[in-house]
Amino acid sequence: MRSVRKAPDEWDEERLVRLVAKGDRAAFDELYRRTAPWMAVRLRRRCADEQIVAEVMQETYLAVWRAAGAFAGASVGGTAVGWLWTIAARRLVDAFRRRAHHAEPPPAAAPADAAPAAEEEALAATVGGDVGDALRHLAPELRQVLQALVLDGLSVRETSVLLGLPEGTVKTRARRARIAMRRALT
Amino acid sequence: MRKAIGKDQHMMPAMSAADIAPTPYAWEIRATGLKVRVGRKRMAVDGLDLSLGTGVHGLLGPNGAGKTTLIRALATVLRPAEGTLELLGESAGGTGEHRALRRRIGYLPQEFGYYKRFTVREFVEYMAWLKEVPKADIPGAVQRAVERVGLADRAEERMKALSGGMVRRVGIAQAIVNDPSILLLDEPTAGLDPAQRLRFRELLQELGADTCVVVSTHLVEDVAAACSDVVLFAEGRLVFQGTPDELAAAGGPEHVGDSPLERGYSALLLNPEQTRGTW
Amino acid sequence: MSVEHASTRIIDCYARGLDGTDLTADEVWAVEAHLEACRVCRERLAAAVAVHAPGVAALVGNVWAGLEPRLGAPVARRRYRSVRLSSWLTPAMVPWLGMVVSVALLALLLDLVGGGYGFGSGRVSLVLLLAPVLPVLGVAASWSQGLDPAYELTASVPRAGLQLVLRRTASVLAVVVPALLVGGWATGVPGVTAAQWLLPCLAFTSTTLALGGVVGVTRAAVAVVVVWAGVVVAPTVVASRATFALQTGGLAVWGLVLTLGIGVVIARRGAYSVLGAHR
Repeated sequence: MRSVRKAPDEWDEERLVRLVAKGDRAAFDELYRRTAPWMAVRLRRRCADEQIVAEVMQETYLAVWRAAGAFAGASVGGTAVGWLWTIAARRLVDAFRRRAHHAEPPPAAAPADAAPAAEEEALAATVGGDVGDALRHLAPELRQVLQALVLDGLSVRETSVLLGLPEGTVKTRARRARIAMRRALT
Repeated sequence: MRKAIGKDQHMMPAMSAADIAPTPYAWEIRATGLKVRVGRKRMAVDGLDLSLGTGVHGLLGPNGAGKTTLIRALATVLRPAEGTLELLGESAGGTGEHRALRRRIGYLPQEFGYYKRFTVREFVEYMAWLKEVPKADIPGAVQRAVERVGLADRAEERMKALSGGMVRRVGIAQAIVNDPSILLLDEPTAGLDPAQRLRFRELLQELGADTCVVVSTHLVEDVAAACSDVVLFAEGRLVFQGTPDELAAAGGPEHVGDSPLERGYSALLLNPEQTRGTW
Repeated sequence: MSVEHASTRIIDCYARGLDGTDLTADEVWAVEAHLEACRVCRERLAAAVAVHAPGVAALVGNVWAGLEPRLGAPVARRRYRSVRLSSWLTPAMVPWLGMVVSVALLALLLDLVGGGYGFGSGRVSLVLLLAPVLPVLGVAASWSQGLDPAYELTASVPRAGLQLVLRRTASVLAVVVPALLVGGWATGVPGVTAAQWLLPCLAFTSTTLALGGVVGVTRAAVAVVVVWAGVVVAPTVVASRATFALQTGGLAVWGLVLTLGIGVVIARRGAYSVLGAHR
């Protein structure tokens, strides 16, 4: 049974990327409208310098506009938005490389002492109760490394550039983080 | 890609044990007593001891000194006749194929041969395939490489329509497409105009943040601007290794040269019997 | 897919970033992982940004202002040669393979018209005579540095070595063997079975590859062609009948040569990942 033609704001992001690949400017505008705020917020939590964030976002969306066709077939095993983040994260690392002495990552935030309210249990689906506790009690510098490697999907070398740490330190902290998490989960 | 950490899930998918194991080597490139033969008889590299880590290293020396032979040996395209060569902790001699090692090396030869009818993107994609970049990552890696060398708006042009400097930049793009840990560039600035050379030096500094880059050049000012370390190579051996400032300090007003670095260069290479500069 | 969404408090705190009261570490992790997957919450985040984080909203607007003028007309992606095709044939090989097919067809034509070379009862099919040497030319075209401009880069990549050798040889044979098959069937000269031309064909191919790894592929091809002229052509011309080498009795020898050639290629598979083989 043929589905009714959806309006543009009902299309999902994968569809938008495919349209951008064909040169559809309206689809690109819509993609930007939907994803730019999220990307800006996420990038700002990793880089204190607004100018760098602006530069990275421009480069990312420009790359999407120019080469979505080359990418579109390759976003296998992930969402279009996840793929957008991989591009942005790599561009952020490149920007940090260019200013190796100037860019400052935001200081690791001290963990808040608030106990989780009842409605937060809803998020327990993604981060289980024990795991959440373990994560919260992990030392901030270890958590930073873990976030870069697991959540942002960066390699060890890229993490070392992003956090301004030597590669050996990144590896050591990653190992310590894993040991701490394992201990907390047993 | 699993981003969540569930109770039963491991954090393995994103960080395997191999990725975060301690690095087993101190230097990315380490040669002891290296000898490499070129042709049938001549030892172009004759007893070289060299240790190179992360950063941009300029390889200077007279023409015919064996710089290209050394770079080819580092690219594992020529095998050493004697001595040891360790790249990323792995021994690079012998007759093996070194597949895993080569995935982490990027190389731009002095005579950069390419297929004229390929477009820029096609050529870099082909090289990415040859370098065994995972198939799903190839388009992203190619786009990033093409952007980093500043050819993003010419990515669909055929290579025969490009100028010499742009072709060289495509060569640099293919060298960095697999995000190598060791990057070997043999005369990369040949054919680049001054503005492009400036941009290239910026790219070098960017790459030197976490990569071991070896740039073979005969342009001393390239070395001064971008390199953290200078290696002077003559008659198959290491003559000097140090910072550009140390090289400049080795020269004095009596030596041939237009800049402190050039004077330092002549000072270290000067044959005692000669009073004029060497070729 | 879970229908749980993030609470408003979390979204608002996340939008404010590090300026406002922050979230606990696990909340940040959870919401970031969730936002990557959930469109509804991204929309809510966009709304929260407009209300609670005007700085970010301004940033988003500025980026768009800078982006818009740079979005030129969409670049038409031309129908391009896929990496898949380039992985089997280099551009240098294509004209040579075309020539090989033409020669095979010409031999076929001459056989059909003239009934083979020779007189009387000892007719020799031209196709049979030419069969061994045709793939040798294709192999030489795949690897010779005179014909392949990108030979040095090709030698330096992880995929160099046995994998690439097998691919390119397979594509050469994939062109030559069907052409000979057609020739063999159509000529109908008595006593020509498929094995009679297939085994010499394969044996010469493997010998060229094996020898090429030792002395360079161009010299190996020349040597093999000379041997062919001496062992196959000359006796046929002189004696006006098929030599022993082409008769069924010689098949065992061809089989032996083929096995030896394959053995050497496998044993020395690193030979095609260094420069020596490309001479």
